Amino acid sequence: MKNISVLLILLIASLLLGACGGSSEELTIQSAWARPASVGANGAAYFVIENGAGTDDTLLSVSSEIASATEVHMSMEMDGGVMSMQMQESVPVPAKGTVEFKPGGLHVMFVELTQDLKVGETIILVFNFEHAGAKTIEVPIREP
Amino acid sequence: MIKKNLYFVLFIVTVVIGLTMLVEVVFRKPYSFHGTIINPPLPVTDFTLQTSNEEVFRLSDQKGKIILLFFGYTSCPDVCPVTLATFKQVYDNLGVDAQQVRFVMITADPDRDTPDKVSEYAARFNPEFIGLSGDMTALYSIWKELGVFVEKQETGSAAGYLVSHTSSVYVLNQSGNLLMTFPYGTTAIEMIDDLNELLKQSR
Repeated sequence: MKNISVLLILLIASLLLGACGGSSEELTIQSAWARPASVGANGAAYFVIENGAGTDDTLLSVSSEIASATEVHMSMEMDGGVMSMQMQESVPVPAKGTVEFKPGGLHVMFVELTQDLKVGETIILVFNFEHAGAKTIEVPIREP
Repeated sequence: MIKKNLYFVLFIVTVVIGLTMLVEVVFRKPYSFHGTIINPPLPVTDFTLQTSNEEVFRLSDQKGKIILLFFGYTSCPDVCPVTLATFKQVYDNLGVDAQQVRFVMITADPDRDTPDKVSEYAARFNPEFIGLSGDMTALYSIWKELGVFVEKQETGSAAGYLVSHTSSVYVLNQSGNLLMTFPYGTTAIEMIDDLNELLKQSR
């Protein structure tokens, strides 16, 4: 009888572990897109970071080979309808949490594009997270 | 006898239609604008700025057109393209009525934005869009009159300084008076509704 109980507990435990062990435990970057822009101008990219892991993470930097600099910024609405933009040193991504980069909010800023960003083309972005490490994604260029 | 009945029915129908029309006129709710209405509309002092190829843009030359005006700068990667992309949707949706509206961007960063640069930036979204810059005195008096806040800020970006600026859209009526403002975040659909109503009222 005791043996059966132990077996049952082991069975339930393994099922629970199995359920948690899916791909949702990773940190992923979804729904990425970048705005069309001309060479020499500045551009922006948007996406959703989903942290499926049980530990808090931090986005340390984003890099690309299409601009003089690739930075993380946040647009904020101040009093009286004034929009202000602040460069972000890092962006916290809470455990099991989601951080959305969207127009008028957090965004990746391309300073001085070295090439045109044309609708239909894609660019490569490399994200550097404190825990999840480096993540490389393809980002399509499209109209909002 | 049949004829008499017919007249009676016609009479009733006429009365019902008449009453319905009366109710419609008396009780119809007035259109409620999405934008913030300025009542009475505020006269705007005439101004002259430059567009591409040193062409002059004079406010008083635009009489008869509705003007959608916003302030931005060409190094701005996020908020300004959002507004211009909204303008593009509005323009495309208005169809032929778009010819009754001028879409204008005035720079908030004259030190870096030449008239050619702002024109080219606006035209990238639609060749009909007008981008303007000019001398500091002219720009400053427009900002001041419309209550546009403009401030440079150093944030350590490789882009150099950034510019905090009022991001509302200003709507000037066909006489060049400030009629309404759209706060940042007003959707293209909301702008289209309001513009259609304005165009309807002026017909």
